Amino acid sequence: MLRLIDIHKTYKVGPEEVEVLKGISMTIEKGELFAIIGPSGSGKSTLMNTMGLLDKPTSGSYFIEDTQITYDDDRVISTLRNRKIGFVFQSYNLLPRKTAIENVGIPLVYRGLKKNEIKEQSMEYLKRVEMDKWANYKPNELSGGQQQRVAIARALVGNPAIILADEPTGALDTQTGQEILTFFKQLNEKEGITFVIITHDPDIARQCKRMAELRDGVITDRQRKVDR
Amino acid sequence: MMLRININEALESLSSAKQRTVLALIGIIIGIGSVIGMISIGEIVKNQALKQFEDMGINIITVSKDYDSPNKMVTFPLSGTLALGKHVPGIASVAPYIVSGTQFSHGSKNAFIDMLGVTQSFFDICKLTVREGRLISDLDSYRYFCIIGSDFADSLQKSGTKNVLGSDFKFGKRIYTVIGVINKVSEGGGMLPGGLNKGVITHITTASRSFEERGINTFLARLKKIQPVPVLQRELNHYFGAKQRGLTIKVSTAEQLIEGMGKQMRLFTLLLGAIGSISLIVGGVGVMNVMLVSVTERRKEIGIRRALGAQQSDIQSQFIIESVTLCLAGGIIGILLGITVSYIFAYFAKWDFIVSYAAILLGVGVSTAVGVFSGFYPAREAARVDPITALRGE
Ligand SMILES: Nc1ncnc2c1ncn2[C@@H]1O[C@H](COP(=O)(O)OP(=O)(O)OP(=O)(O)O)[C@@H](O)[C@H]1O
Ligand SMILES: [Mg+2]
Repeated sequence: MLRLIDIHKTYKVGPEEVEVLKGISMTIEKGELFAIIGPSGSGKSTLMNTMGLLDKPTSGSYFIEDTQITYDDDRVISTLRNRKIGFVFQSYNLLPRKTAIENVGIPLVYRGLKKNEIKEQSMEYLKRVEMDKWANYKPNELSGGQQQRVAIARALVGNPAIILADEPTGALDTQTGQEILTFFKQLNEKEGITFVIITHDPDIARQCKRMAELRDGVITDRQRKVDR
Repeated sequence: MMLRININEALESLSSAKQRTVLALIGIIIGIGSVIGMISIGEIVKNQALKQFEDMGINIITVSKDYDSPNKMVTFPLSGTLALGKHVPGIASVAPYIVSGTQFSHGSKNAFIDMLGVTQSFFDICKLTVREGRLISDLDSYRYFCIIGSDFADSLQKSGTKNVLGSDFKFGKRIYTVIGVINKVSEGGGMLPGGLNKGVITHITTASRSFEERGINTFLARLKKIQPVPVLQRELNHYFGAKQRGLTIKVSTAEQLIEGMGKQMRLFTLLLGAIGSISLIVGGVGVMNVMLVSVTERRKEIGIRRALGAQQSDIQSQFIIESVTLCLAGGIIGILLGITVSYIFAYFAKWDFIVSYAAILLGVGVSTAVGVFSGFYPAREAARVDPITALRGE
């Protein structure tokens, strides 16, 4: 489903060049529930942004569903991002002036769907995250866990190939975080939705089907250690 | 569809109207307002002038005493003026008149009104028609008869005079009997002496016996066919020079008058156009500033939208639509303002009010253009925001 081959990413900070990703090669199959752990600053978010087509690697090849990504046309990249990727962020990243249902509908707006179609589908996904009662609430009227549920509905609404979650439980208390992860696990098992989850929390990582560690810009697969 | 969503968005940010948004819009409002006001007033004036010439025809000239005459005391001789048609071949008919401001006392009311002494031909040349009673004829030349303007008649009726016709009123030192009321005429900018609707008309012979100002300084003439001004001027100077030593004349034609009005309008247009353009530039820069601040404030939103699949062009059009909506909102208020100003203008000038649809269209067009213009650069900046840095920065 996702294949990275020898991905390098270098940032220029002043005159110096900092290599954050030093040749990452990995494959994520359909139906995986994949955790990536690693110390702060190891490049986890950079890797995820690369997978999510927000960032462009300095070198290397990247395939989504066997299509190699070329980074020269914003329209192509944005359309792929819109259709193939669903993002869940640590800080939810809902638009503050929009209601829950409007937030969920944004990916569909960029697909050019009709207003009532957007509304219908957004509501359906709000139901699935059990947030339909709060459809007309603004983000600041919701708790952190509730906001993250809305954000998950937004990631799911376009039926993407993969959900990329960057520390989705990082801003939540242990119990609420666990609820979110349980929900991910259900979606993964029942509907075969593919997840890549970045986390600091070993407890969360341990519950995923597969885990890899990013350290000093290199990835080490630790699948065997977690598989029980 | 995207468009409607974006307009909603823009209206939302407008309704949370920040001070600088309002300030920027004031520029747009004044700019569009003055442009629309200018065009509307221009249309009203033009309409009015054309209407009068439609009534009177454009083969009318006004001949007045040249106030730089070698002899300042001389005026036009009545009989010599009336005989003009027989001696100058191009002239069909003439209507000399005397104007004089006169005290009018009625009950406790005192007013100062314009009185006119005319011959019968005046009504024909000016196309004045009677509303009630009859017009002054040349047979009334020794009678203290008068006819009055329609506004004057209405105000007399309002203040309690039941039958204006046949009533006697004191104008200056004399008492006149009203024998007729004329229909309302369109005033302003034309050939007609001013104040007809509020004024009083008597026969010129009566006038020359009783008015304070008794000399004929002006007359109207209808031409058989339109002739060049210098030719007319030469012929008339020749004619009157022989009759009254030291009298020279000036001719003004309908064409000249229309042209003169055009010149005045151009000056007016230039002035308001300048005010309008400056305000529009100031407003446009203000809107650009508002939009730039908005882009900075909403970097995070841009990042989120990009992550969810917005193309650079989506972001760009979102901000341009916002800027256009903003300017259109200002523009619509400006259009209303401009039309209101021209209405007030027409009301006080007693002219027919017309709404210029071309002006409205122009107002909408110009505000859209200002919106696109001042939104373009901020929108491009918005489209270029790097989604990762935008998402990271809280
Ligand atoms: N735009 C940039 N310019 C320069 N350096 C950057 C840029 N973005 C990231 N970096 C650097 O790349 C490294 C990796 O950052 P990244 O955000 O991927 O780490 P992370 O593993 O997600 O950390 P955390 O667990 O704290 O979220 C950091 O040292 C960071 O300073
Ligand atoms: Mg990170």
